[in-house]
Amino acid sequence: MKANTFIYRIAVLSCIVLPFSGIAASGTVTETSTVFSNSLFNILLATIILLLIVNVVLSQALKNIAQSDYIVNKLKENKEKINTIKPLSILLLCLFLTNNADAQILAKRDWEIGGLGLWTFYSLAGIILLELIVMIVLLRLIKIALGNDVETKPLLVAKENILLQKLTGAVAIENEGDIMLDHDYDGIRELDNDLPPWWKYGFYLTIMVAVVYLIHYHVAHTGALQLTEYNTEVEKGKQEVAEFMKNAANNVDESSVKMLEGTDIENGKQLFISTCAACHGKFGEGGVGPNLTDAYWVHGGSIRDIFKTIKYGWPDKGMKSWKEDLSPVQIAQISSFVKTIIGTNPPNGKAPQGDLYKEEITVSDTLQVDSMKTNIKADTIKVTASSK
Amino acid sequence: MELEKFNYDNKTVKWFAYATLFWGIVGMLAGLLAALQLVFPVLNMDLPYTTFGRVRPVHTNAVIFAFVGNGIFMGVYYSLQRLLKARMFSDFLSKLHFWGWQLIIVGAAITLFLGYTTGKEYAELEWPLDILITLVWVVFGWNMFGTILRRRERHLYVAIWFYIATFITVAMLHVVNSIEIPVSFWKSYSWYAGVQDALVQWWYGHNAVAFFLTTPYLGLMYYFIPKAANRPVYSYRLSIIHFWALIFIYIWAGPHHLLYTAVPDWAQSLGVVFSVMLIAPSWGGMINGLLTLRGAWDKVREDVVLKFLVVAITAYGMATFEGPMLSLKSVNAISHFTDWTIAHVHVGALGWNGFLTFGIIYWLIPRMFQTKLYSTRLANMHFWIGTLGIIIYAVPMYWAGVMQSLMWKEFTPEGQLKWQFMDTVTKMAPFYAARAIGGTLFLIGALMMVYNIIKTVKQGSFLAEETAEAPALAKEYHQHSKDHWHRWIERRPVQLMIVSFIVVAIGGIIEFVPTFLVQSNIPTISSVKPYTPLELNGRDIYVREGCYLCHSQMVRPFRSETSRYGEYSKAGEFVYDHPFQWGSKRTGPDLARLGGKYPDSWHYNHMLDPTSMSPNSIMPPYPWLFDDKVKVSEIVGKIKAMKRLGVPYPDGYENIAAKEMEKQANEIAANLKKDGIQTMPDKEIVALIAYLQRMGTDIKATAKN
Repeated sequence: MKANTFIYRIAVLSCIVLPFSGIAASGTVTETSTVFSNSLFNILLATIILLLIVNVVLSQALKNIAQSDYIVNKLKENKEKINTIKPLSILLLCLFLTNNADAQILAKRDWEIGGLGLWTFYSLAGIILLELIVMIVLLRLIKIALGNDVETKPLLVAKENILLQKLTGAVAIENEGDIMLDHDYDGIRELDNDLPPWWKYGFYLTIMVAVVYLIHYHVAHTGALQLTEYNTEVEKGKQEVAEFMKNAANNVDESSVKMLEGTDIENGKQLFISTCAACHGKFGEGGVGPNLTDAYWVHGGSIRDIFKTIKYGWPDKGMKSWKEDLSPVQIAQISSFVKTIIGTNPPNGKAPQGDLYKEEITVSDTLQVDSMKTNIKADTIKVTASSK
Repeated sequence: MELEKFNYDNKTVKWFAYATLFWGIVGMLAGLLAALQLVFPVLNMDLPYTTFGRVRPVHTNAVIFAFVGNGIFMGVYYSLQRLLKARMFSDFLSKLHFWGWQLIIVGAAITLFLGYTTGKEYAELEWPLDILITLVWVVFGWNMFGTILRRRERHLYVAIWFYIATFITVAMLHVVNSIEIPVSFWKSYSWYAGVQDALVQWWYGHNAVAFFLTTPYLGLMYYFIPKAANRPVYSYRLSIIHFWALIFIYIWAGPHHLLYTAVPDWAQSLGVVFSVMLIAPSWGGMINGLLTLRGAWDKVREDVVLKFLVVAITAYGMATFEGPMLSLKSVNAISHFTDWTIAHVHVGALGWNGFLTFGIIYWLIPRMFQTKLYSTRLANMHFWIGTLGIIIYAVPMYWAGVMQSLMWKEFTPEGQLKWQFMDTVTKMAPFYAARAIGGTLFLIGALMMVYNIIKTVKQGSFLAEETAEAPALAKEYHQHSKDHWHRWIERRPVQLMIVSFIVVAIGGIIEFVPTFLVQSNIPTISSVKPYTPLELNGRDIYVREGCYLCHSQMVRPFRSETSRYGEYSKAGEFVYDHPFQWGSKRTGPDLARLGGKYPDSWHYNHMLDPTSMSPNSIMPPYPWLFDDKVKVSEIVGKIKAMKRLGVPYPDGYENIAAKEMEKQANEIAANLKKDGIQTMPDKEIVALIAYLQRMGTDIKATAKN
């Protein structure tokens, strides 16, 4: 039995340690350094620790209960089974998880759950599951131990009290006359049991946490308050995006965007229907927003103009900016699709708005003329806005 | 000593019990309708009275104040008399209390369906009802204190400490939070604005949970658990410590509803730390309840009443542990505005309040009707179906809440938000459906109980006047030398009330006073201007339709939120918001920066049929806004009221307000006409569009300059 307990402890311990070593070993430095600032990670970790405590308490309880010979005999069969299966299965699972980690490192890490790598998430979730299983097993054992057997009942009640006494510092039921107060309210009596120690010290602990928290944030100013936190987060986000974009081959912006073809047009069409159709109509015929199928454009009709309009929007005129919702490639796809529907003349077309736009002939010319055009346009808008 | 004979009044208890059952079913039905509306928007029925924005306050108010409220009075009227060995002070006051409370409930239901609301959660009732509540509450207190002063028991039992704390604190919360300036009989503006209103409202909202749903029920627990289990209370010492600690600490925790908002950091931190410190005092009640059952666990297996009580206490323990966890900023960053909170409160409402009420009713009714429960089997079935209902309700909501929040926060590597808000809404449908099933099960259980109680009542004979006898209190009391020090105050109900009041007043004062007096807490923004008359009317419509129940107006300082909605919200932006409309749930997206995002015609179409502009939307349509006219005559009173609240409109502005209104409305109508929409400028929709287009734009103006 001792050996088994030992294996069990090692197994549990390794289950806690292995994921971290796995993270460290996998070389995902960015993740390790930030993992503790991830809320989901903290929640999972807290759950793990909580369950662990519960399990320790339960196993202590079981130990207390099982100290009677009768119960030991009664449980022998069950316990042996479990004591061998449990550590083994835990170890197996841990091994499986570490192997899995290697596989994950090989795989491209573009999967994430709540900002956590897939592997980290599943291993933490796995540990929780495991702890739950252990808890259920322990509960079952306790239930068996405290079973309805009439003969064993007095003994078990006594044992139960030992456990309770340990946890609560309670006076045993048989002796409760000693601490019975002379209160009697409509037949309700009151005992004067001591405060459960864990409750009392838990209370002190929370008070200490409160003091430390307030000092940390408002006296020593060592903690980051929300706006500092926000600026850090935004800065980090910017860096990550910049890092990604450096290596991204298909990066485009309004100066480099070109007319796309084939499946890109098809993707653009899908995106158009899901995001643009509400205002511009299913076929681009217009509605709340302008008709996109005629030759007239409020903010210019070149692919670059359209890209720009979608990306930055024209907030004064009710066109929202989509750069936080759509990637540059997606915007390029939509822009290209919009170019293909010009002149389709769908039913219920909205009356033309803006200026007639004619496609320039040479690419290099377009570039210059277009940019000039947009400049002029922007100026005109500024003038009209200020004259208002 | 001579024994005095007297009778306990069971009749009032019986009436409160019936009212509890009736309003319980009504409140749950309203909740079920609201739940189903999120799955099948067609159930909003295109009527003003049946849209989610009005059904939801009906549900919350009915369940809190009608179901639990009557439950409190039922339990208090039963236990108080017996714990004091005295009949209720006055039969007339008992009657007045009962019928007054039912009148408030009926009034609440009617006015909320009609859209008369202050726009402050759980305090939606308009000023005439607020006054009525105050009066009836005084009647309750008068009756209770009258009884206490005529008691035949020297010391007050712990249950009564909780009743007294409940009485005095609810009175304080209700009066302070309901200070408002009436504009007409059914319309008023909160005296507070923006950040201050938020702090006061959540001080109230949080402590409505504490002192309406928790402390009175702890009192009931202290009576009915030892009674039903026939065991002594586990620890008198624990009662004392957890009672005082609980009422002192609870009050402070309100700002945890406002983490990461425009509320000053120090107030948020107080909310966090006091929530953490609340764990032990809350659990003190759970421990004392559960350990009282020590030595009676075999009874729990048999007795359905104890089963209900045990699950109730367990649910209380879970909810009061979860609460502090949700108050940690890192957890709150995920959980706030999601259905996680909904799951949390329902573990408390269904488990703690629901099951404790059920247990008490199953215990009380057979005793008062001198019979046995009609069917224990049925009650057992109720227990299991109810428990299952809670699980099926809560688990999907937890899951969905976390899922939706993580989707809101997710970025693609290119730096775009991965999900449109609508993507996250469509993902919620199955979870909302599961929740409705859980709620249905719970409701079925409650209906089974109603049937069981009706049958029990029919087979029994009611004992309206229960005789009892006890000696009168001696004029003088000789203290036992070994008495616990706390016995001193247990003999002095008035002092107990005064000390309780001081203890509960401290937290609020310390948190409010600086935000009212210290300028730096709400830095002024010069570009923030008062609403135009038309926008003000639009805002009143926004409040009336309960938009705040699904849409927040608070962009928190997170990258994911500023990307999705725009610049995070600043305290100075809300200084003219009477009442504040930050909201507590995002069933739909945040609206703080809505102004100028879409054209007027988009809003016009969207309010008429949300799915036309926003496919898959589950928002109800608001067709009546296109028929009803804005009441121009009221604007004078509204502007005057706002001026009295300190909103800096120029002198005599109320006289030209109607003209200004017309001018702005004509502009919007003309704008709509450009997009081919013909509408009269005096319709409510025009006013609403004016408000929606204004939201969050004041600060954009500064950015441009």
